[in-house]
Amino acid sequence: MDMKEKPKVEEKVQGETTVEEKPTLPDTKEGKLVKALIEKAPYAEGEVIRERRIKFTVPVERIHEFLELASEKFEMLMQISVVDWLKEGQFEVTYQLWSVSESVHAFVKVRIPRDDAKLPTVMDIWPVAETYEREAHEFFGIVFEGNPRLGPFILEPREYEKHPLRKDFNTLSYVKTIYGEDFDRYDESKTNYVI
Amino acid sequence: MQNGDVVHYELKEFQLFEPLFRWARKKSLWIVAFCTGCGGIEMPPLATARYDFERFGIMPNPAPRMGDLFLITGYVTPKTLKRIIITYEMMQDPKYVLAHGSCPINGGVYWDSYNVVKQLDKYIPVDVAIAGCMPRAEAVMDGIMTIMKKIEDGTADGWKRYRENYEYYRKNQDELFGEGWREKDARRWLAWI
Repeated sequence: MDMKEKPKVEEKVQGETTVEEKPTLPDTKEGKLVKALIEKAPYAEGEVIRERRIKFTVPVERIHEFLELASEKFEMLMQISVVDWLKEGQFEVTYQLWSVSESVHAFVKVRIPRDDAKLPTVMDIWPVAETYEREAHEFFGIVFEGNPRLGPFILEPREYEKHPLRKDFNTLSYVKTIYGEDFDRYDESKTNYVI
Repeated sequence: MQNGDVVHYELKEFQLFEPLFRWARKKSLWIVAFCTGCGGIEMPPLATARYDFERFGIMPNPAPRMGDLFLITGYVTPKTLKRIIITYEMMQDPKYVLAHGSCPINGGVYWDSYNVVKQLDKYIPVDVAIAGCMPRAEAVMDGIMTIMKKIEDGTADGWKRYRENYEYYRKNQDELFGEGWREKDARRWLAWI
């Protein structure tokens, strides 16, 4: 190739920008999975994130019903994770499901209010949910109704009362009351970080 | 034991042989294999061919009753600290503690974490602390060399300090865990204490 040759300017494709109101589901196994589940449960919103990742957003009243439907295709519950949205005053609980037959990872998201955090347990669908629900209960204070073993689990009793992964848990003041104030990493005026 | 009493750690009859004993202790440090935090994964390079700490007579050993050197390899949570204190008290005198990394010194990156103990030295005596996050294997070897020197000249006296200041350490432990934690928790793991 001649080095002096100017690089060709790519001609702009005069593509018409079609503004779609609702993104259509792709014609892949993920798209078909989402479509099949949405047809059965029209209250849920579903989308394909990428290959082997799909996402559902479900209203809180019908989460148990939806997960029961989803458990036909998604045999495994991998994790229950929680995000604390402090400004919105909500917890976002994510059920991570894995489909052994289809090799697809699904996130089922549900939002619940922070001050009245209650969810039905899914132990009757996946018995492993017991451990995950206990953990979410301990760190965030979400009550899973129907789980018989909610209570202090991993943490010390005094930490359990505070639910330490909540965003409004003041770690520094807690540390100073428990471990003493004589650690030298930080001073109160924030002018001097010793790290 | 009264406060004013002089504590004799060595039998008077054996005082003459004390340098020999120290030399022997220095040359046969057995490690209590109790790995906390991220330093546990730093041990295999030390034990294998490149650094090979067995040439100094250091040997990993599962029983605290036979251990001499207690390695605290990384951060210590209150739950781990309970086990550490029980294990440390189970070890026979003389016993030495080597703390790896920044976390046992002042919390390290977990300086404001709710469940990492900030100063390990308040709860059990530490003889040598290696700073770093994590210290490389060379630094750990240097710490081991330091503790061997300190054993030889008699300055690695954490086990004596633990006896003499037992009330201080006991007070700090009880402040953290609450009174009667040995009876409540430790008896569950160790039925005989």
